[in-house]
Amino acid sequence: MTNPLGLLAQFGAAALATVCFSVLFGVQRRHFWACGLTGAVGWLAYLAATGVGASPAMATFLAALPLTLLARVFAIHNKAPVTLFLLCGIFPLVPGAGIYYTAYYFLLDDRLQCLNRGVETLKIAVGLAVGIALVSSLPMAKKRG
Amino acid sequence: MKEEQTAKSPPQQVMALVMEAGSTLLENGGEVLRVQQTMQIMAQSLGLPDFHVYVLTSGIFASAQGSVSEVRHMPYITVNLGRVEAVNELSREVAAGALTLQEASARLQEIRAMPPYSRLTEVVAAAVGAGSFAYLFGAHTPAPMLVAAVAGAAELLLTRWLQKLHINRIFSDMAAAAIAMAIVLGCGALLPGLNANSAVIGALMVLTPGVALVMGIRDFINADYLSGTIRLISAVLVAGSLAFGVGFAYTLARQLWGVAL
Repeated sequence: MTNPLGLLAQFGAAALATVCFSVLFGVQRRHFWACGLTGAVGWLAYLAATGVGASPAMATFLAALPLTLLARVFAIHNKAPVTLFLLCGIFPLVPGAGIYYTAYYFLLDDRLQCLNRGVETLKIAVGLAVGIALVSSLPMAKKRG
Repeated sequence: MKEEQTAKSPPQQVMALVMEAGSTLLENGGEVLRVQQTMQIMAQSLGLPDFHVYVLTSGIFASAQGSVSEVRHMPYITVNLGRVEAVNELSREVAAGALTLQEASARLQEIRAMPPYSRLTEVVAAAVGAGSFAYLFGAHTPAPMLVAAVAGAAELLLTRWLQKLHINRIFSDMAAAAIAMAIVLGCGALLPGLNANSAVIGALMVLTPGVALVMGIRDFINADYLSGTIRLISAVLVAGSLAFGVGFAYTLARQLWGVAL
């Protein structure tokens, strides 16, 4: 994951995935690039954080910081609600894998792993929440209504 | 009393417009605080005296001077952020005094009629999105990405169809997750050595309760604890439905054909 080509592929895939979700949420075409960039930056920050040894929950928290900041910057720049960029950009960080593995181990009746994954998923969700909350509460030069 | 200014636009009509704008926002995925603030700004700009509004995830209660009051119940939310943005823009123009009541009403009707992307575009987006997520979650060969794309497209078609039949969200999520899992298991039986986990996770991303989770968090930040709780409960329910759907398909496959993951 450290080679530049791999990183570029990750960045591109995250941006593409985010843009696809903005289509599903009916976002106007002119915001696609901003949505994609928000999602891709969030995902790269997540990879970087896990790369230096952060736990998934911690990495999600750290990635939510630049992501939310970027969403707010784009909201001002594109004169659109923050929700637009935040809702689409956050998707790579949503613990879909956690939900799946919790169910998977539940089925295999591996209770230890199931509980492990369940708590992990909860922690990721909390990390996401705290990250968004922190940056959302920062005062910005131009307050949006 | 300053009836001169307000006489131009009867309070009932202003209230109808403001309520329509608020419900459009809420139905299409606006957060509670935004709905509340937008309605207040519009009511103030259009001269609706003594306007008060209380917004919940699934309803709006508003009243103004002269026994003008409206209540709306909106149990179903379909995210269309294009409409949220358009209403936001409309309220800004109303606040700037650039629109009359009639113009604003006409614009709002246009916004409510704004179509989502075509079904084909949505299917392609779901497929490509699911495939990309499969890649992000550890697929290194094209096979699991393709499988995820097929499953993602199937999920989208199924949920949209069930939505049209007014089947509830919990069941449609379970069914879609089960279909996705069945597709992945089926392909896994045909293609030995398929990285099934990344394919399932990629496909499930189309259904994950990301919207409810983020909106719930935002409601909490804005101190709308009741609305935030409602959204978080729905996020947990959706997650549970996905888990159940996946589990159902997996167990069935194991019982019938002895397929192992």
